[in-house]
Amino acid sequence: MKEKLDILLLDDEAIVGNRLKPALKKVGCDVELFEDPKKALNRIREKKFDIVITDIMMPSVNGIQILEEVRKKSDITKVIIITGYATVALAREAMDKGAFDMIAKPFTPDNLRSVIAKAADSLGYKKIIAKA
Amino acid sequence: MTNTLEFKSSFINNSEKKTALDTEGRDLLARPRFSLRLHLLLVFILFSFLSMAIIIGSVIAISSIDKKMHFVQTSERYLFEIAQARRWEKNYFLYDTNLEDAVQSAGNAKTFLSQNLKKFITVLSAEETAGMIEHLEKYRSLLQDLQDLTVLKKNGIENTEKKNKIETSLRKHGAEMVKVAAALVYKEQNSMNAMLHLIQRIPIYCFAVVLLLTIFLARFLVKRLIRPLNLLIESTQRIAKGDFSPVPPICKYRGEFTAVEVAINQMCRELKSREVAMVESHKLRAIGTLTAGVAHELNNPLNNIMLTAHAMLEDHNNLSEDGLLEMINDLINEADKSRSIIRNLLDFSRESESVSEPLDLGALVGETIKLTLNQAKVSGVKIETQIQPDLPRIRGDKQQLKQVFLNLILNALDAVEKEGNIKINVKKADSPKFLAVQVEDNGCGIPSHILPNIFDPFFTTKGPGKGTGLGLSVSHGIITMHRGQISIETEEGKYTRFTVTLPFRTVPAVLNKT
Repeated sequence: MKEKLDILLLDDEAIVGNRLKPALKKVGCDVELFEDPKKALNRIREKKFDIVITDIMMPSVNGIQILEEVRKKSDITKVIIITGYATVALAREAMDKGAFDMIAKPFTPDNLRSVIAKAADSLGYKKIIAKA
Repeated sequence: MTNTLEFKSSFINNSEKKTALDTEGRDLLARPRFSLRLHLLLVFILFSFLSMAIIIGSVIAISSIDKKMHFVQTSERYLFEIAQARRWEKNYFLYDTNLEDAVQSAGNAKTFLSQNLKKFITVLSAEETAGMIEHLEKYRSLLQDLQDLTVLKKNGIENTEKKNKIETSLRKHGAEMVKVAAALVYKEQNSMNAMLHLIQRIPIYCFAVVLLLTIFLARFLVKRLIRPLNLLIESTQRIAKGDFSPVPPICKYRGEFTAVEVAINQMCRELKSREVAMVESHKLRAIGTLTAGVAHELNNPLNNIMLTAHAMLEDHNNLSEDGLLEMINDLINEADKSRSIIRNLLDFSRESESVSEPLDLGALVGETIKLTLNQAKVSGVKIETQIQPDLPRIRGDKQQLKQVFLNLILNALDAVEKEGNIKINVKKADSPKFLAVQVEDNGCGIPSHILPNIFDPFFTTKGPGKGTGLGLSVSHGIITMHRGQISIETEEGKYTRFTVTLPFRTVPAVLNKT
């Protein structure tokens, strides 16, 4: 088994990535950062990530499309959706389409880390849970 | 006099009853009273006077004819008596008989004349009457002389010369006497005939006058009744279109219609206040629509602040000075972003009275578009903006106009599918002294059968709970208030283009830039 989780983090706000990348590295994750959803899509088609974290409202491509694209590529990848304005309809749609969890802005790095820990748990990474 | 008294007392009554009356209402009621009832009363009185005059005139005419008839009879009697005297006189000269009778008849005539002297004097002049009397007296005295001669003759004294002389004189005066009397009869008969003729005509003249008067008065009354009604109908139509300004006074004086006017004005005031409430509720609804977008917008900077703050908390020991500075700057920038988002929302929702100020229409439209950008981003709609530079300023209420353009853009957003397009154009209008704002979408268009209703209050094509149906109605009201126009071109399934035209100020823009 790998020592580190492969994570793709997509948010059109640069600050989100800049702050989260070090926060996630601390708990033993390899994080690839994207601001442009189209570039992220290309990367998703190339590589199977353990976890994809994506904002839902972005210009041109939205989080649901990312989710669908991830599902096409891999069944085991966990998708965590970040949303700025959570509605029941949106949550249902995301869950129906196989999202692992949703996290509403504003959140703390620990909020995200505990969701990631849960995802890692279901993927079988005991080590990360211990660290978190 | 009674009018002013009545006006005073009813004014006091009214002001006691409706203390809440507005100034227009009070002005309307403060005018002198001239009611329809008074109109009718005056017409009725006029007609009564007219018919009374006609009756009195006829009575006078008939009694004067009666008098004339009597006079004609009198003069005929007189004529008969003198004619009789003359017949006896003739007999006397032919057969030497009836002289006594002639004297008798002349005496009768004399008595009759002196009995009816007053009547003769009213018809003839004093000289004529005197002439008549003189001739009669002369005639009588000649007959007397003749009688004296007859007495002498019986006694054997014959005076043929004197008799002949008397005869000539007698004939002359007799003829004169008869002539005057006959002329008198003839004249009176003529005058009586003329009067009868006139009396025959009088009903026709009266009928014509009454007919003309009736037509005139009927027209007058109809005008007094129909004109206010028409004006009221016009006013109600105007009110139905959303112009709630008070009804102008329709009659010069206070009357039955004043009460209607006062009532309509009160209704307008109520409607106006309701409309304000309606606009407010619509604004709240629009804020609700905006909130989804704004919440997302606001959560982003908030999230950034939170993440940055936590990062600082976790790593403050290992951070370089540059890293720390970067984070602090991020915090400040994100806080700024949040502030401007909230300010924009507050700007729109602020309770504001209508304020007219010089406005840069392009900038105003730009600010409004900013409010909707996030909504557009969510729906994946592209907004293209074209604002002609150096446009003259308009005058108007910033918040209200923002609301109009926000309504139009939100409608356009609703109309387009994902990946739709909204074009917003601010430019000089085709008509001089007007600016135009066009909001065009390539959405579903508006079916022609609902086109006439789209500006009606509460008309909506959106599902229950989604639209108030007030957006366009309120927008229409606001634009009309700004002396502008709002028009629409649409083709089902292709596009919808709303054009708002607003008059600009003629003062050069440079002077307004303060």
